[in-house]
Amino acid sequence: MKKLLVVSVLFAVLVSCKKEAEKPLAQKETIVEDVEKYKELYGNWVGDFIAEEYDTVGEFVHSNKINIVIKKILGNQVIGQNVVAGNNRLLSGEVKVTDLNEFHFEMKEPGDSKRDGVFTFTIKNDTLSGEWVPNNKNAVVKKRVYKLTKQQFAYNPQLMLPNDEDYARYMDRYDMKLDSVEYETEEGVTETYEEPVYRTASDVVTKLNSSTTLLKESDVKNLKKLELEILRNTIFARHGYTFKKKTYRQFFDPVDWYVPVSDDVSKELTVIEKQNIKLLQRFEKYAEDNYDTFGR
Amino acid sequence: MSAQVAFLNIKQTEVIGIPLYLPIFYIHVLTSVFCLLAGFTQFNNSILNTKPNIHRWIGKIYVGTILLFAAPSGFFISLFANGGLISKISFVLLAVLWCYFTLKAFTSIQKRNIAAHQKFMYRSFALTCSAITLRLWKVILVYLFQPSPMDVYQIIAWLGWIPNMILIELYIFKRFKI
Repeated sequence: MKKLLVVSVLFAVLVSCKKEAEKPLAQKETIVEDVEKYKELYGNWVGDFIAEEYDTVGEFVHSNKINIVIKKILGNQVIGQNVVAGNNRLLSGEVKVTDLNEFHFEMKEPGDSKRDGVFTFTIKNDTLSGEWVPNNKNAVVKKRVYKLTKQQFAYNPQLMLPNDEDYARYMDRYDMKLDSVEYETEEGVTETYEEPVYRTASDVVTKLNSSTTLLKESDVKNLKKLELEILRNTIFARHGYTFKKKTYRQFFDPVDWYVPVSDDVSKELTVIEKQNIKLLQRFEKYAEDNYDTFGR
Repeated sequence: MSAQVAFLNIKQTEVIGIPLYLPIFYIHVLTSVFCLLAGFTQFNNSILNTKPNIHRWIGKIYVGTILLFAAPSGFFISLFANGGLISKISFVLLAVLWCYFTLKAFTSIQKRNIAAHQKFMYRSFALTCSAITLRLWKVILVYLFQPSPMDVYQIIAWLGWIPNMILIELYIFKRFKI
């Protein structure tokens, strides 16, 4: 009986050894098959990420700039990443080549965040278009769509916000105050109505370069809080930072050169930029605490 | 005392570049507050009539504080005022006039000229009150127009004391019929 047990154990070990020995062989075969393909698709695909299906109640931003990065295609396995609205998520999935020039992708975000979802898109010629559906069925936005084009990213400290005579461009549309205005009707009765007032930034934000010039107190002293905020965040935008705050996204998302590539650029900042950020933050804090209060 | 509280947050160029700025700034802030308090006692007739000594002592402290500390320190920090030349001129004038009115009020009473003493003390205190009126105007202007911070500053530099002067001259004119 004892002998039988020993023999059976030995047999089991032998069998398992054989199995293990077979495994690497099988892997090797697939590796040989999986060479990197379609490298021309690699890179940043950038454009608007637009809500298409959503609940009528609940808050969300209708459109944000998104960057879908295709990093590696191995066989039909794809690795990538998407950067949008302060979120930087890995993507993994598969690609199917249907037509000669058409690539169908299904890419999943990791799934450990309740904001994760699934991207399905097609690359045809120069355009990547498709949709995104969140894993969370109770999310306010049920579906987003996008049409993206390839865009290179390179840090360039000379880049400036555009100054295109569109005066409403540097207006914070998320920060509205109602101002009551009095007027007299034809019958001579005084009535009031509420007029929305937004905070605005002057074209100084298109002229002062916060990445190349070391700013002095006298340069920023006469600036309002919004102007200081925009100047500081232009530094981050140049480095491809993706903004968590919609207040800042509204100014940078429409800018042609702006490509969101990272949710942490602190290591990329130059010495001048770091000093300017400190100065601007100090003035922002002062503006926040003192601009409209009793005191100096 | 810190080099980074409120107002000083936008004056680091001076705080770091001019060694005397910070101590003189604090002398100005701390002594000027006491000058405002004098308003509660010095224009009170019952104190003046029943306890003239209190009036004299507080008056001497008021005059000494302004002439030795508050006005000279005010003059010094005026030279670095926010808002450029426009506000610097205003604050320098304010410091000089404050000094002059206070000194005249003092020398008048030394000569037992009560009417002149009263007139100059009204003027002196009208300027002392600019500490409050300047800040009040700021709140009003920002509420109404949301201008850029230094544009506000150039306006309140003048609005802080000129109307005070006009009002007090009108009052003196009515009261003394001169």
